[in-house]
Amino acid sequence: MSIGTVKDLVKVDDYEVAEGLFYHKEHLWVRKDDGKVRIGMTDFALKKLREIVWVELPSAGDDITQNQSFGTLESVKATQDLVAPISGTIGKVNDKLTSKPRLLNEDPYGEGWIIVVEPTTKIDVELKEIMNFEAAVKWHKELTEGG
Amino acid sequence: MDEQGKKTHLYRFHAQNGKIVPFAGFQMPVSYKGIIPEHMAVRTGVGLFDVTHMGRVVVTGTNAEAFLNYVTTNDVARLVPLTAHYSVMCNEEGGIKDDFVLSRQKEDRFFMVYNAANRLKNFQWLTKQAANYSVNITDVSDDVAMFAVQGPKAEETLQKVVTKDLSEIARFKCSWTKLSGFDAFMSRTGYTGEDGFEVFIHNTPISNPRNAIVAWNTILEAGKEFNIEPCGLGARDTLRLEAGMCLYGNDIDENVTPLEARISFVVKLKKEDFIGKEALIKQKTHGVEKKRVGLKVLESGIPRFKHEVFKDRMKIGYITSGTFSPLLKRGIAMAYIQSKYAVIDEIVHVKIRSKQIKAQLIKFPFYDPGQYGHTRKK
Repeated sequence: MSIGTVKDLVKVDDYEVAEGLFYHKEHLWVRKDDGKVRIGMTDFALKKLREIVWVELPSAGDDITQNQSFGTLESVKATQDLVAPISGTIGKVNDKLTSKPRLLNEDPYGEGWIIVVEPTTKIDVELKEIMNFEAAVKWHKELTEGG
Repeated sequence: MDEQGKKTHLYRFHAQNGKIVPFAGFQMPVSYKGIIPEHMAVRTGVGLFDVTHMGRVVVTGTNAEAFLNYVTTNDVARLVPLTAHYSVMCNEEGGIKDDFVLSRQKEDRFFMVYNAANRLKNFQWLTKQAANYSVNITDVSDDVAMFAVQGPKAEETLQKVVTKDLSEIARFKCSWTKLSGFDAFMSRTGYTGEDGFEVFIHNTPISNPRNAIVAWNTILEAGKEFNIEPCGLGARDTLRLEAGMCLYGNDIDENVTPLEARISFVVKLKKEDFIGKEALIKQKTHGVEKKRVGLKVLESGIPRFKHEVFKDRMKIGYITSGTFSPLLKRGIAMAYIQSKYAVIDEIVHVKIRSKQIKAQLIKFPFYDPGQYGHTRKK
């Protein structure tokens, strides 16, 4: 797979957090990848949603804006907005998710990636506004202790 | 009681094999292997549910039949011993206080199984209404383990572990039996649309769970050859929705009457006085303004609770439950819409976020009853 490498997965309670990634509070992760940015959803959010049965994604060429919804996931239980963790132009959409949405649950940091984005020049500023790995681990601890 | 909720006899099994969620004061399994595989096990083979959280009362006494005929809408006089029926209790306005299955265990002993969330409310209501009747109402919820064995292979599975010949028990009939050596009461009922049984192991308090655990494991073992799956609340919800059955708190509540919910088969207006009768007769005469309908979504998207329903850009109702149907592989929902639009096969729109999604009115159940459910051709 040319997905790039996930260095390490840390488990907080039942939920995996991947090292080297950035995390938005709406549960999307960001990985810098040769000047591009790959985006997916956290294991925590996907385990809470349970089986994803449907994805609604934009197309390559569409723009996304930080903190704004760019698509939805539907699980048996609930609908989840996909909120952009950073801004940019979509280069690639993971088409496999349309026919096999369960990839999201099975491999959230790998084959279950959602889009690859060409970021804007604001990328460094935007990444500072979201969580790095250490902050995300702490956040996951708060999430799991809360309930 | 644990601050997160009460545990059933099988809590340890659930926690080890499934995901636990708080539900109606209990810590219940939402799923084990996954909602979809559990759902499909029930539609094609057999599934086992722990539904011990349900509220259960025993009503006894020489006045029991008359009392139950007064507080419930179905005709209790027609319930001969060892039969059961679906029914509701209404308030004076005809609004549904709860829906439940009532079985007659003996001439003067009835067993009522109702929603966990309404346990306290119902017990108080029943007790209050019983003032002028010589009856005893006992909440036995904490002393009875309750499992549902559901699916086309339910009978074959259960037959291996009970003494009673199950072919003698027709749908909505009941029996006493021995289940892995313990006294059990069972009814050929369920909340999935499939053939199956609900099994009650009496005198089994949660503090002494052994008999319940043995029975559970025995059923799982017996169902192995049919690929039995333990099933959680997630599959219970998708199964009942596909079958077109109401969920209290979503599809029915005190603001909805059984006529609006289109479960009028449980309302026997010809019987003597019962709570809500006058209001229901009046409504029947005038006709209902809104009705519960089934919606099958024709595009992608899943309607959810509170989404609005439109016809020709006019709002005509709202969704009360919606999910992804594992069998139909599309969104399905129940909605209340203005009666004049409640015509089978008609197309309406559901507003899902900013989009208007096409949906078709269907007759319950959502599946082909010749192919699935208890009416399937063997």
